[in-house]
Amino acid sequence: MATRNRTLLFRKHRDALKSVRIPAISSPQSTSSRGGGGPVIELVSTSLLNPNRSYAPLSTDDPGNSSRVPNAINVGLPPAWVDLSEEISANVQRARTKMAELAKAHAKALMPSFGDGKEDQHTIETLTHEITDLIKRSEKRLRRLSASGPSEDSNVRKNVQRSIATDLQNLSVELRKKQSTYLKRLRLQKEGQDGVDLEINLNGGKSRYEDDDLDNMVFNEHQMAKLKKSEAFTVEREKEIQQVVESVNELAQIMKDLSVLVIDQGTIVDRIDYNIQNVATTVEDGLKQLQKAERTQKKGGMVMCATVLVIMCFVMLVLLIIKEIIL
Amino acid sequence: MVVTSSARDYFNRILQDISGMKVLILDSQTVGVVSVVYSQSELLQKGVFLVELVDSISKSSESMSHLKAIYFLRPTSENIQFLGRQLASPRFGEYHLFFSNILKDTQIHILADSDEQEVVQQVQEFYADFVAIDPYHFTFHVPSHYIYMLPAVVDPSTVQRFCDRVVDGLAAVFLALKRRPVIRYQRTSDIAKRIAQEASKLMYQEESGLFDFRRMEVSPLLLVIDRRDDPVTPLLNQWTYQAMVHELIGIEDNKVDLKSIGKFPNDQEEVVLSSEQDPFFKVNMYENFGDIGMNIKRMVDEFQQVSESNQNIQTIEDMAKFVDNYPEYRKMHGNVTKHVTLVTEMSKIVDERKLMSVSQTEQELACNGGQGAAFEAVTNLLNNESVSDLDRLRLVMLYALRYEKDSPVQLMQLFNKLASRSAKYKPGLVQFLLKQAGVDKRMGDLFGNRDLMNIARNMARGLKGVENVYTQHQPLLFQIMESIVKGRLRDVDYPFVGNHYQQGRPQDVIIFIVGGTTYEESRSVALQNANNTGIRFILGGSSVLNSKRFLRDLEEAQRVARSSTTVV
Repeated sequence: MATRNRTLLFRKHRDALKSVRIPAISSPQSTSSRGGGGPVIELVSTSLLNPNRSYAPLSTDDPGNSSRVPNAINVGLPPAWVDLSEEISANVQRARTKMAELAKAHAKALMPSFGDGKEDQHTIETLTHEITDLIKRSEKRLRRLSASGPSEDSNVRKNVQRSIATDLQNLSVELRKKQSTYLKRLRLQKEGQDGVDLEINLNGGKSRYEDDDLDNMVFNEHQMAKLKKSEAFTVEREKEIQQVVESVNELAQIMKDLSVLVIDQGTIVDRIDYNIQNVATTVEDGLKQLQKAERTQKKGGMVMCATVLVIMCFVMLVLLIIKEIIL
Repeated sequence: MVVTSSARDYFNRILQDISGMKVLILDSQTVGVVSVVYSQSELLQKGVFLVELVDSISKSSESMSHLKAIYFLRPTSENIQFLGRQLASPRFGEYHLFFSNILKDTQIHILADSDEQEVVQQVQEFYADFVAIDPYHFTFHVPSHYIYMLPAVVDPSTVQRFCDRVVDGLAAVFLALKRRPVIRYQRTSDIAKRIAQEASKLMYQEESGLFDFRRMEVSPLLLVIDRRDDPVTPLLNQWTYQAMVHELIGIEDNKVDLKSIGKFPNDQEEVVLSSEQDPFFKVNMYENFGDIGMNIKRMVDEFQQVSESNQNIQTIEDMAKFVDNYPEYRKMHGNVTKHVTLVTEMSKIVDERKLMSVSQTEQELACNGGQGAAFEAVTNLLNNESVSDLDRLRLVMLYALRYEKDSPVQLMQLFNKLASRSAKYKPGLVQFLLKQAGVDKRMGDLFGNRDLMNIARNMARGLKGVENVYTQHQPLLFQIMESIVKGRLRDVDYPFVGNHYQQGRPQDVIIFIVGGTTYEESRSVALQNANNTGIRFILGGSSVLNSKRFLRDLEEAQRVARSSTTVV
């Protein structure tokens, strides 16, 4: 695909016109403020949502830039909600790295090992809890991002919300999938093991059973051992099921809340032109509403009442003091 | 050479180099260009958190300097003015300007003059100036579309604007594909000749540096033809999915607006029919109505199975599976609802307007059948109360186009009957059509009764019988494509511009129809491409027609022609 860069031509014209328009006054103040303005904007904007990106200046400014129109430099600091969104994105990033760790822990736990495997279980549990925590916290904070009243800023906020909501939903779906595959494989493994054990026990029991009474006690011992083992197994199964139920509940709740925010791909809501139309109408409506609100507030009975009450209070106070003095 | 991916690549390039939070500003034409190939969720992924139109963004003045502004506009003087004003009092931290076509030097001057704060970081030309609705089908949105039917003397400035828009758009298509074509045009059409010559001037003389791409062995071919050589295709009723939806309801930039045909719940008022995003549509868009019904039924059955199993949650595992699959389930539900709604509505319309019998007569008029039988059929339908005015008009037009010279008396009878039956009929419209696209004006063998080969072929087809009466029509475009494949496109009929010449067969062909394309023709192109003959065809037009739009153009042209003082 062909493109053509006209920036050089543009800059040439711009510089030529500038030198014609404003005679060059080079003063250390203006250049330093100019220099300060540029990188400040740069820093602010690159730090948003991309903490890993290295700071690289976008444009090469000619050092020969002279003074500009005074009210030019809008060293705009982003509004406060940007910090919030940045925080949430950092959380999402952390959750992602933990997911990678979890995948590794799953793989390790599934490998046949001589040890107890309790350690691996523990790490898996903690990791899963941490990730679910992160997701829950991010989701709670995400709600604070929504703004009231239609304005361009609120549209930006809404879109930032949607984007983060999509990330969160993908994360939770991924987590669920990893968990379920892990549990499935674990169950297969365990049943394999216990199946074999059970068989051995059964055979052992059978052979012993045919012997005389003395062996009954031994048989009972074996039976007891078998019972204990299956008991322990059931308890463990129950615990696992509890865990699964809990995490399913949590994530279901999160999914439900998020699905309101997330855009369904391929539908009309995912179309840029549809969203622009809606923005136009809501901004216009919003303007009308604001104007209406302003008018009613100005006429505002409320303000009058409040002032009257305050004055009355003062009057009462004064009367009280006078009464005290007189008496 | 696929137009949708070319357009997408442009936008990927624009968005990938700019980091941080962005706002994308478009104009009313580029909105369509972007919306068909890029979705809102993809924009969000790339960090674009606000999309605005260039004229509405000037209305507010809150400063949002934490955002970087990306402008993607057509280089019109109006846009340059807007942009100039916004650069003079900038609201955003940085400005990146992208234009969808070639900038004039004066425009760059104006922009440079306004950029006192030096907020502009780059000015680029990214030639995505066409609406890529399907992989092998693009269109423009040209205002005053009807003007192509009138000679230039009637309204020279509007005709010039029309030609400029088309030439700019074609240039953008070839720049996006990085090729410079050999140009041929339809001899009998003045406007096609004019567009071909102006395009050639632009690509070979004015901006020859820009178009100087690496020459492959065979240059691609740009063929500019006129809608009026095949006026039958836009008038016919359609029975393949995409064409049918456009004919009965209307598709605009791959969106279908259902509000015009009834009341629907909020989320089904407008739906998206895009072959890139909807796999069911991609498979079924060229299938005929009966097959679609079966396929939709199958899809509904599958969906019912899935939803039954979802309701049958007994174990915890089932619960877990349900929560996992919920997004997929929701998407499937939306898709099924969409297609079922569309097909239901279309069935209703078919029943109301008795389109089965109307369309059968139409197809017979267009393809075969004798004159006497045709006259009788048309008269019967005209007398039928439940046939709508639009359909009556179409039938008479098709009859007139076919049997123009055969029996003038009967033709007059039909005109009179039409005028008496249809209250809204603008008298003389059919005659106007005949003047524009009658048998004297047409070059191609539209009804297969001029060329000996075609007559033979028609007879053979008549003997063999057709698979489906309703889809037997082949647009004239099909014959043109066949001739190109065989290397037998006659120079006499489709001459080369200037001193262009082509040795052998081209490998890529772009056919541009001045006056608009139809979805039936784009289907023909897609099926031809699937045949793998070694030649790839792309179809483009100044709009996408259905019968209502074509008739509207005719009416507008007739009105202007009548009111102008020069004799048409």
